[in-house]
Amino acid sequence: MSVKIKGFCCNYTASVGVEALKQAGLVPEDFDMVRLPCTGRLEVQDLLEAFEKGADAVFVAGCMIDTCHNMSGSKRAAKRVGYAKKIIQELGMDQGLVEMFFVGRGETGPVVEAVREMVSRAEAADS
Amino acid sequence: MIIAERKPVNELLDMISGVKKLLVLGCRGCVAICSAGGDKEVGIISAALRLGRSRMGEPIEIEEATLVRQCDPEYLEPLPDMAKDYDAVLSTACGVGVNFIADRCEGVNVLPGLNTTFYGANLSSGEWIEMCAGCGSCVLHLTGGLCPVARCAKSLSNGPCGGSTGGKCEINPSVPCVWHRIYDKLMDRKEEKRLQEIMPIRDWTTAGHGGPRRRLREDLLP
Repeated sequence: MSVKIKGFCCNYTASVGVEALKQAGLVPEDFDMVRLPCTGRLEVQDLLEAFEKGADAVFVAGCMIDTCHNMSGSKRAAKRVGYAKKIIQELGMDQGLVEMFFVGRGETGPVVEAVREMVSRAEAADS
Repeated sequence: MIIAERKPVNELLDMISGVKKLLVLGCRGCVAICSAGGDKEVGIISAALRLGRSRMGEPIEIEEATLVRQCDPEYLEPLPDMAKDYDAVLSTACGVGVNFIADRCEGVNVLPGLNTTFYGANLSSGEWIEMCAGCGSCVLHLTGGLCPVARCAKSLSNGPCGGSTGGKCEINPSVPCVWHRIYDKLMDRKEEKRLQEIMPIRDWTTAGHGGPRRRLREDLLP
């Protein structure tokens, strides 16, 4: 079964585009990523709506805590991911289906790893 | 301000069981300031309910709106018209807003989205603490500005009780004994004589024990 993964990243994470990653076979076809100016702008509502629109798992890839371009953007994003975890748990979902990853600037490898991790969590939750 | 918190999503889903079209109605008063029921929280609650209903295989149509306040009649005036196309209105105001809608907006099926908890202050981002019980008979001038009604677990008028140890309350070592603090404060102010005065037995009728309270100011009446 193919799982649908939705990611959000900031302008400074993952230098390679999603299409290129798909063409290289590094991420599944059913992966979509939204690039934001800063993950600190992401709201809990955006994470919940990603599930409502069909994502099986959702993640955020933001800057390393101490190197965030906007000082505390990724820290804020992590807190909102935490609140989204609480809400999906109240809905009877596995709270691991939404996750925050801290990624070095311009590094694509950790984002690919994040996608694979979320695929594995979504498959486990579905089994 | 009035402090409130979101009800658990499952409780809200039970409450709106059978509702096909819902208006989630926020309030930009106290509940927006304490991050429980303003515009942002209306968005989060709506998204959570849409997701929950979608997972139940019973999709729901939800619209979002926020009023300046839900405790003043002028802001509620448009509500009966706004709400006529909805099966229910989930208010994210405090209990005052929900009651006021139920009283004044005929035909509106209003439901509470929040649990209203206390009158409190904002200690830091994300942390609120009770400071006032709204008892209607303020004694703060006698207690160094610290409220024994709201902040003493036993609401003692003449404390501390025997359970105060090392300045902490017996209910929880993280809770300061407010009577210990009152004592320190009055000693610092050289007002220790106050500590020897026995406060009379309280008349709790002003605290709502005499039924719902009403305040009138003749000069402001229409």
